[in-house]
Amino acid sequence: MAKTKANPKPKSSTRTKLETRWCVVVANDPVNTMNYVTACFIRVLQVKRPEAERLMLEVHHEGRSIVWTGGRERAESLVLQLQQWHLRASLETGA
Amino acid sequence: MTPEARGILTELLRLAGPAASRSAVNRANVPQDDAEFTKTWADVLGESAAEECTLLAESISRAKGNPAVIEIPNEEAAWAIVRALSSIRITLRESVFPDIPDSALESEQALAKLTSKIPSEQRHALACYDCFGLLQFALIDQLDKS
Repeated sequence: MAKTKANPKPKSSTRTKLETRWCVVVANDPVNTMNYVTACFIRVLQVKRPEAERLMLEVHHEGRSIVWTGGRERAESLVLQLQQWHLRASLETGA
Repeated sequence: MTPEARGILTELLRLAGPAASRSAVNRANVPQDDAEFTKTWADVLGESAAEECTLLAESISRAKGNPAVIEIPNEEAAWAIVRALSSIRITLRESVFPDIPDSALESEQALAKLTSKIPSEQRHALACYDCFGLLQFALIDQLDKS
């Protein structure tokens, strides 16, 4: 029978690595109308109208809004789509 | 929309189309960490803006009747036209009347005062800007209800 160590050291340490969160940011612009921006958010971000309107108003009043956070690939896809709708969208890394 | 107005808008869109395409690329905040990726991104933006402006110009040139009816084949095309209207409004704003403050554009009274003082080229561009805005609003309203 093999002896067992009283306090065996773990062979590897477990580390928790936080994935970088990417933010899709939309800035206010003077040309696109409120109903246009709302329609864009509904279609691109796949959110319901109340949420789309909340985000649109945040852009309007605050000058910008983080409309989505998550992985880089999806964030890039959303920024490109929002730019195709002629919104001032950009990609930022989150805290 | 009279045939004359239809002709003017079609011609305006034909002239502004390439500028709208360039503007869509220049305005966009494109990730710069990979040259090939950046180029593809810019190409996608430029091509889609150009295609949508062409679709809008063709739709207006084919409009029939008085008042004119613009026939749009399906919902996808309708949303493309909605986007094109945004693109063309941004292009007019940036290229023809960049000096007019945002506050004036958002206030009917301020705009009415300003309109009498600006050159005719800017006045005509402002009229088109307003017309495209109304068209876009009506189209989105119709799409939301359908």
